[in-house]
Formats: sequence, structure tokens, C-alpha cells
Amino acid sequence: MGEIKTVIVVERNYLMQAGLEAMLMEIPGLMMVKTFTGDEVSLAGHIRKQQADVLILNPLALKEDPIVFLRKLKQIGKMVVFGLMEKETPVNLQSHFSHVLNVSDSKFDLQNKIRSVLHQDTRPGNHNLLSKREVTILKQVVLGLTNQEIADRLFLSIHTVTTHRKNINRKLGIKTVSGLTVYALMNHLVRMEEMGGATK
Amino acid sequence: MLINKNMKLADVIHHDYTLVPVINRFGIHLGFGNFTIQEVCKEHNISTGFFVIILNAFHDPHYFPKERLQSIRLNILIEYLQKAHTDFLEDKIPEIAFLIEKMPGECLDDRKTYLLIRNFFLEYSTELKNHITKEEERVYPYVLKLEEAFLKGETDADIKKQIQDYPISAYEAEHENVEEKLFDLKNIIIKYLPKPKSDKLCFQILREIFSLEKELNEHARIEDLIIVPKVEAMENALKLKGFGNG
Repeated sequence: MGEIKTVIVVERNYLMQAGLEAMLMEIPGLMMVKTFTGDEVSLAGHIRKQQADVLILNPLALKEDPIVFLRKLKQIGKMVVFGLMEKETPVNLQSHFSHVLNVSDSKFDLQNKIRSVLHQDTRPGNHNLLSKREVTILKQVVLGLTNQEIADRLFLSIHTVTTHRKNINRKLGIKTVSGLTVYALMNHLVRMEEMGGATK
Repeated sequence: MLINKNMKLADVIHHDYTLVPVINRFGIHLGFGNFTIQEVCKEHNISTGFFVIILNAFHDPHYFPKERLQSIRLNILIEYLQKAHTDFLEDKIPEIAFLIEKMPGECLDDRKTYLLIRNFFLEYSTELKNHITKEEERVYPYVLKLEEAFLKGETDADIKKQIQDYPISAYEAEHENVEEKLFDLKNIIIKYLPKPKSDKLCFQILREIFSLEKELNEHARIEDLIIVPKVEAMENALKLKGFGNG
């Protein structure tokens, strides 16, 4: 099964929120961590902060154009987005979602749909261990180098470095540089003396 | 359970003791006997409606009566948030710091690990403090002034300038992620402590962190869902009204 996946929901209707929560609770390894009503100012920013694995989004809850909103979400990176929709929802809106949950579907169908999508997404291998490359990059981060400097040193593109960093954050469950520093020092990946003036 | 003004405050606390610090923020302290919420509020001269809303909002994260909360004056909301700030800085943070200080004897052999965790928490406290100071020195005074201008229906040059140069959305945009460090600290304690001698102290620390986190979330909910939208609406109304002839 691997790690727990976090789910956030954007849905105005309370009964729907509660129903979703009850349904999601029955799927092992999923945890609903936050609901938004759609009224929030800078909703996309709030969603980004959650760093959730899954977003279930009712486009009707949004104050802005759903298509514009989805475009903003694209930049968040790997988060599986489900559109929560009625059968009558126009096809051109449905087509903007890679996965659609139909509100009138049975519980079995809904849960199966979510399971099968998330199953595809789980990659094999151990989720917790950092690869050698990731350890190398973690060290550089802890020593205070910027993504650009790391890219230059290791002859990587900045995009690759960013991807590695996202994976490191996800695997360790630590997001801040100082948190990573504590981890690296505790696990003797770097020594205190190496740190020098690097710590802020 | 939905809390209402006719309940005995003692019953409410029996049901959810984590509300104790919340009632303290209103100047109410334990020892209220069998009085109902309404009676206690009357004695302390606080708005029963607002008190009940805050109790419910804290007790159940799904409870968020937007319309009712939006009818409350911003100065009352801000007074409440400021008291919560004081709690964070004067109670919650020192409590966690105190527990962390006990780590070397009770749970960690390795002094280096202890120092790392202590410094990390210190960094977090500083960040939280800076964040709070900024809100209290810059954001809240602006909000209060704006509400006053809105209610009076007149704007002065200062307010106009700020609405134009630095509206609430600008603060919103630079809203720091203070909660990230707290999240990291939980994981460091849960996943990465090298062989703790005893879990007891760690459990206490985690309990305090989760409780602080709950309070911070509640706090952010009030700011994001009530204050920011309300301030934006006021800014827009004042812009429409006063700026042409200013």
C-alpha cells in the first residue's frame, strides 16, 4: 500500500463534503485533510500550500472560470485532480479534467474509480529511501546552495534539480531547508563543521 | 454537538476541554459553577452571540457560519485574534520550548540531536513571532482604520494611499508559510529521532504541537474566510465612493 495519500476537496455543499469524507474514509490509505468551499481568496495558493496528493474539485464551487483555475493548478505539479460533476455538465468542461467523478454514480463505482486512478500512480520501489542522487542534492541544499548553483555543480538542468527537491520533500515529509538540515545532521549526511557559515 | 447560549458552560467544557484557553481569551476563568453561557457572558460583559460562534468554530472545524461571522465588527474579531496571539507567544511556545529543554535527560542521549531540535524550534518561534508582529503592527491597524472609515463613510489621504499602494491582497500574497516548520518538526520527532530512550516526553511534545497547530488553523480560518473578504469588500466600496472627488 505504501504511504498515506492526502486528499483535499473543493465543494460548496456541506452535505456533499460530508458524503465525500464518509466515502473516502473507507478507502485504505486515503485521508481527507482539508475542505474548501470555493469562496476562499487566492484558493489556488491555499491548495498549493496543502501539498496534497489528490484534489477533488467541483468546478461549480469556483468563483472564477474553472478552465483558468485548472491552468493555475497545473503549475502545482503532481497532484491528481478529479472533477466532481453532474451527468449534465457540459462535455467541454468535463474534458478539461483527466479524471471525472460523477455525483450520481454508486459508491462502489466512485471508490473503484478513485482506487484505480491512484493505483496507476503509485510507482514501485521504496518510497522512503532517498536515492544516491537525492542524497547528493540534499547535501548541497543543506550547505546553502541555490538550485541554480546545484545545477551548475552537478551539471544538471535547473528543472531536474527542482524535481529532485520535490521528491526529497515528499519522501522525507520535510519541506523547509532548516528541517532538511536537522535531518541531514541527525543522519550524519553532513557534518557540523562542513556547515560553516551556510546556516541562516 | 452544536453549542448554544442556554447550555451550562461547565457541560460544554466537559464535552470539549480544549475550549478552556478559548474562554480564557474572553476573560472567563474556571470556577463558573452551574451558570449558562448567556449568564456567564452577561457577567463578563461580552457579546453572547460572538462567544457562542467562536466556541462552535473552535469545537468543530466544519462549523463556519459565514454570514453570522461577517456581521460581526472587525474590531471585535481583531481583539479576539490579538488575544490568541498573546496565547501563542506567551503560553504555547514557551510550553513546547520547556518540554524540548527536558529532552536530554528524559529521552535523548545524544546532545547534538537535542541542540538541533532546540535550535530548529527556536527558528520556528522567531518566524512565528515576526509574522505576528507584522500583523499587529501593520495589518491590524490598517484593518481597524479602514473599518472606521467605512462606517463613517469618509476616507482620508492616508487610507486612500494604502488602499491603492498596499491593499489587503498584497499582504495575502506575501503570507508566509509559518506552518511548514511545525509540520517538519512533527515528522522529525515522529520519524527521525535516533532511538529515543522514552516516548513519554515526545508524546507530550507532539500533543502540544498538534494543539498549537489546531489553534493556528482556526486562527487562519478566521483571517482567510472572514477578515480578508470583508476588508476587500470595504476597500472596493471606498474606492468606488471616495476616490473620484478626493
